[in-house]
Amino acid sequence: MQLNPTEISDLIKKRIDSFETDAEARTEGTIVSIMDGIVRIHGLSDVMSGEMIEFSNGAYGLALNLERDSVGAVVLGDYKGITEGDVAKCTGRILDVPIGPELLGRVVDSLGAPIDGKGPVECQKMGAIERGAPGVIDRKSVDEPMETGIKALDSMVPVGRGQRELIIGDRQTGKTAVAIDAIINQKGKDVKCIYVAIGQKASSVAAVVRKLEEHGAMDYTIVVAANASDPASMQYLAPYAGCAMGEYFRDRGEDALIIYDDLTKQAWAYRQVSLLLRRPPGREAYPGDVFFLHSRLLERSARVNADYVERMTNGEVKGKTGSLTAYPIIETQEGDVSAFVATNVISITDGQIFLDTDLFNSGNRPAIDAGLSVSRVGGSAQTTMIKKLGGGIRLDLAQYRELAAFSQFASDLDEGTRKQLERGERVTALMNQPQYSPLSTAELGITLFAANEGFLDDIAVDKISDFESALLAHLRSDQTEFLDKINASGDYNDDIADEMRGILESFKSSSTW
Amino acid sequence: MSELTTAARPYARAVFEMAKETDTLTTWSESLSFMGAIAANADVVALLEMPKMAKQTGADAFIKLCDGKLDDKAINLVKTLADNNRIKLFPEISTLFEVLKDEAEGRIEAIVKTANKLTKAEEKSIATALKKRLGREVKLKVSIDKALLGGAIIKAGDLVIDGSIQGRLKKLTTAMAG
Repeated sequence: MQLNPTEISDLIKKRIDSFETDAEARTEGTIVSIMDGIVRIHGLSDVMSGEMIEFSNGAYGLALNLERDSVGAVVLGDYKGITEGDVAKCTGRILDVPIGPELLGRVVDSLGAPIDGKGPVECQKMGAIERGAPGVIDRKSVDEPMETGIKALDSMVPVGRGQRELIIGDRQTGKTAVAIDAIINQKGKDVKCIYVAIGQKASSVAAVVRKLEEHGAMDYTIVVAANASDPASMQYLAPYAGCAMGEYFRDRGEDALIIYDDLTKQAWAYRQVSLLLRRPPGREAYPGDVFFLHSRLLERSARVNADYVERMTNGEVKGKTGSLTAYPIIETQEGDVSAFVATNVISITDGQIFLDTDLFNSGNRPAIDAGLSVSRVGGSAQTTMIKKLGGGIRLDLAQYRELAAFSQFASDLDEGTRKQLERGERVTALMNQPQYSPLSTAELGITLFAANEGFLDDIAVDKISDFESALLAHLRSDQTEFLDKINASGDYNDDIADEMRGILESFKSSSTW
Repeated sequence: MSELTTAARPYARAVFEMAKETDTLTTWSESLSFMGAIAANADVVALLEMPKMAKQTGADAFIKLCDGKLDDKAINLVKTLADNNRIKLFPEISTLFEVLKDEAEGRIEAIVKTANKLTKAEEKSIATALKKRLGREVKLKVSIDKALLGGAIIKAGDLVIDGSIQGRLKKLTTAMAG
């Protein structure tokens, strides 16, 4: 007979010891109707808005509609055992989830219950799902980089710690791939990651978890999953649960990264719940507060100053700032960024990474549209070296795009135009990157230096990626000292430039290339 | 059920205010519970729901059923309800009226379920404690439920105080299951 992890005698003894035997006073009500996951309860005179309600089959509900004669609650979980006439009790708890470092490495659902079969999550603290964002005075401006390891992003669309950067694109354009690469690149950088999967296939989430485990990223990652078969209420709450878990780290002066994949499905789930609660529908049948749904979630991703951290930890942690960086993902239909939810989230976030289907299909992956993608924090979130070296890339690509129509007449053009076209082609080829192979800041710096200084100009366009892999292999085996030096400081001066030039020249002339 | 309460509330409130002004709360209370009992009867409901039944014919039939136990004001109430097709609301009106009456008189009924019979002293101490907690006069209704194993469950309106052993065992089960 198989014992599950909860049946260890020590655990049981601890549970019995900590059990409280006081009488409890609570308000009760009777279920009047249950339909489509929405329960109407008569009674419950002391219920609070957003309070957890307990049903007789052990499932929980969330009181969302407080009306004069009844309470409209949405069931969080299985509503099979609930019948009309059952008793519903108030718990006195506004919806909260377990938070803390014990969650790292685990896969949990929207209520914090584990779904990875590795035993219970022994968290000491609970955090409210709905919390106010830090105020204006509590914040600090974003000036530390959050590297994704993706060349195109770190050079042209840099993201800082505490920023919200939207990843937007059609289906199958590599949105999740960008997010996963960002998580994998945080290895060894003391950043805790949270991946919130909303409305996805369970198989997709399993594949993501497997990939993260392969690259050793699960040790510092929490996965919150509300799959497509979970009730709409769980899908609606999953991002808030993930955010509460991320705020734990932010409020302790640590850095965290949270990815919401994706918010479109959360908006759909919220629309379903609102329509069933008979709230009036607005544009595209979304309820009137769909903007507030996302704005209050994303405002909680911020960089907070040391005073706030000290206050939140009661003086335990001094002199450290905390941050929660967010990568919300929105899926568009046919590239329509002017759809309702898409425009809402674009206006909330501090920039977007736009992934284009045409670029993806023509082999440019990651398919980042450098023209439409922007980061409103920009240069303040880059190291000096990348800022200097990456500044030219964007311009090169913009000029190349302008002239791209003439590339058919390449032989008939003047020298300057032809050079620009060739440089643009090579930079575009350089920006391609395979999945799960992040670049450190130093490696990115050398690659950009090579592009800027013309080391790529005499290499055929289709050989650029081979050149780059060979260069990276050489750097990682023979030049580790130099890489470590640059990674540590991030400075850039003439000496470093000369060193880079020397390395590149010797590499190019050597027989490995 | 909640829709019926919403519909019944204006009537209950009107009757209550009228009863308060004329100081006839008890008479009205009896009248309403009597009419409520009749209106709850299945045959009466069927009779009133008959499609060809005109409103006032139904009202007259109902008044006749009450067999002279209604005073003029009560008859007017029946006729008003019949006008709006709301005679079947009488049970809800009666319940709401009782709630309003208890609130006005500062009284509440508490149901106490115990596993073993309570002594008079125990009943009195429960009543005093509840009175302090709820701020109203408490009328206890005691019943025995062996399934509780020990302790008591006290229900007053929506408030439930669970001090029973059965309740604690249930809590222990949930706590153990994680």
